[in-house]
Amino acid sequence: MTLLPLTWTLGYAGLTALALAMKRHHEAMLGSKASEARLRGFRVLGWALLATMTAGCLMVWPTGLALWMAFGMVAFAGLPLVFLLPYRPRLAARLALGLPVIAAVFGLMPG
Amino acid sequence: MKASLRQSMAWLHTWSGLLLGWLLVAIFITGTSAYFRDEISFWMAPELHQSVASEAAPRLAWEQLNTTAPNARNWLIGLPDERHPVVELRWQPDTPEAQENRRRRGERAEMDASTGEILEPRASRGGDFLYRFHFELYGVPRIWSRWLVCVATMFMLVAIVSGVITHKKIFKDFFTFRPGKGQRSWLDAHNATAVLALPFHFMITYSGLLIFMIMLMPWGINAAYEDGWRGFFAEVFPREEQTTGAGAPAAMIDDIQPLVARAEATFGQPVRYIEVEWPNRDNALIRVSTAKEATITDRRRGGAPSLSFDGVSGRLLKTDPGTHPSDGVAVRIYNLFVNLHLARFADPATRWLFFVFGVVGSAMACTGMLLWVAKRTQQLRGKAPGFNLRLVNGLNMASITGLLAAMAVYFAANRLLPAALEGRESWEIRAFLLAWLATLIHALWRPHRRGWLEQLAALAALWLAVPVIDLATTDSHLFSAIAWRHGALAAFDLVCLGMAAGAGYAFWRVAGHTPARKPARAARPRRAATGDTP
Repeated sequence: MTLLPLTWTLGYAGLTALALAMKRHHEAMLGSKASEARLRGFRVLGWALLATMTAGCLMVWPTGLALWMAFGMVAFAGLPLVFLLPYRPRLAARLALGLPVIAAVFGLMPG
Repeated sequence: MKASLRQSMAWLHTWSGLLLGWLLVAIFITGTSAYFRDEISFWMAPELHQSVASEAAPRLAWEQLNTTAPNARNWLIGLPDERHPVVELRWQPDTPEAQENRRRRGERAEMDASTGEILEPRASRGGDFLYRFHFELYGVPRIWSRWLVCVATMFMLVAIVSGVITHKKIFKDFFTFRPGKGQRSWLDAHNATAVLALPFHFMITYSGLLIFMIMLMPWGINAAYEDGWRGFFAEVFPREEQTTGAGAPAAMIDDIQPLVARAEATFGQPVRYIEVEWPNRDNALIRVSTAKEATITDRRRGGAPSLSFDGVSGRLLKTDPGTHPSDGVAVRIYNLFVNLHLARFADPATRWLFFVFGVVGSAMACTGMLLWVAKRTQQLRGKAPGFNLRLVNGLNMASITGLLAAMAVYFAANRLLPAALEGRESWEIRAFLLAWLATLIHALWRPHRRGWLEQLAALAALWLAVPVIDLATTDSHLFSAIAWRHGALAAFDLVCLGMAAGAGYAFWRVAGHTPARKPARAARPRRAATGDTP
């Protein structure tokens, strides 16, 4: 279960990247207008992170439950993001960078 | 009706949601609590809290049953685990009446896992009351209430499908929440809780219907199985029936411990159950089984890895590595949905995630109903709300804050009612129902912002009171639960504090709600001050 927090943070980062791939949220979170290429880049990054999150679920749970919980993670990670976005957009973006690092450090630490 | 598909779906969504919304909120909230049914039951039996899982549990249980029921027909010893650190003893007496009702449970006792003392928990329905309420309410004949909940579930499915069609920009608004904009904000919150957890909402509703299908519409089963229910259950939950009669009296092995150790060494898993057929007879049979490996598409109760021993000599008779009978695809899909609905396989972390799912589902239902009122209040543009709107607002209040308050009262009553009270478990339920009735009367009397503030304040106070009363009346309160590292007990009190904090926050938000930003709503407090209250 040590992988669970990391998996959750990857889901959060992936969804944040997908939000950054949308003009409205991109401007709110990063304060700048984005080029089409950049938006596309975030979209690819977002899906890649969600794929990694699914892989994480497969390591935490047996296959059937894992695929199901991958959908669940979208809710668990998405809801905090949605309700944080209008109040602290920049913090929401920073958390997407910081949380996976923290979870990785704690989760992968030996012992 | 000349309307586009989306408009007619919006109509369907609004009215099916409103009509059964109150019931659905209650189903969602009690169902969410049912994920922790065992933990709630345990919390509501403080007499059991002293028990600590110990290595000696099998030996103590063995001695206890040899004293209490040496000549029973069978014994079942449930060893303690993380969710229930108490030894459960069950046995069926070898009497003619017991033979008549072989499917009935027989006698039962709970034993302290480290001292072997028989514990006598106070009479309480515990988490089972909330679990049962989830699908058959209370006080209504079962068949009616189950049909009612089934119809509500069907409408929930209708609401999900029509809601998806109604929602104009699922992906464009995927991350959108615009606070402080009245109706708009409620709609965003309703959408977010609905869309992000859509697979969960669909699964929980569809599987709920599947469960009811078996429960309420057995015609297909009657057609397929000659003896109807019995045949169906015999196939889905096969049981090994006892075939032999009682043998001559004979002393069994003194010590069960080596058999337990052998099963644990064989399967590498802790032993969960010890079953004995014809104890203290010369044909006594002991079966020691471990926990079954959880598979999401399997819900048979049997099939756990087990060792069978001769009860008199202790000789190993049979090693059963555990079976997962290969079901057909239809049965496996049915099992998949039902297991997901019940979170039957779940370890504590996964169980918490399902609990959060339930909270999100409850939030979706609640925001939908609050949205109905917010939208119509906004349309009034300052005029006084009519009877219908006040009625809906009042019923919303009773079904959301009222139900949650009644649950807090139920838990508080568990601690406050004297242990020796006659019909104690019914009094706990009566306290719950009376509290709920009181909130309903209050809500219909004051169906406006002040009413909400009063109920939210009461809600925060009641949930705060639960851990405080626990502290005053038991030794296993929050602080000792933390000191003993008893996760479930500590979590119960912490969730109560969380509920109190949530209600307090909601109170603060509603109280600080600034009329200037929502001119349409400004009329409500003024009207409340001058108008419709006696």
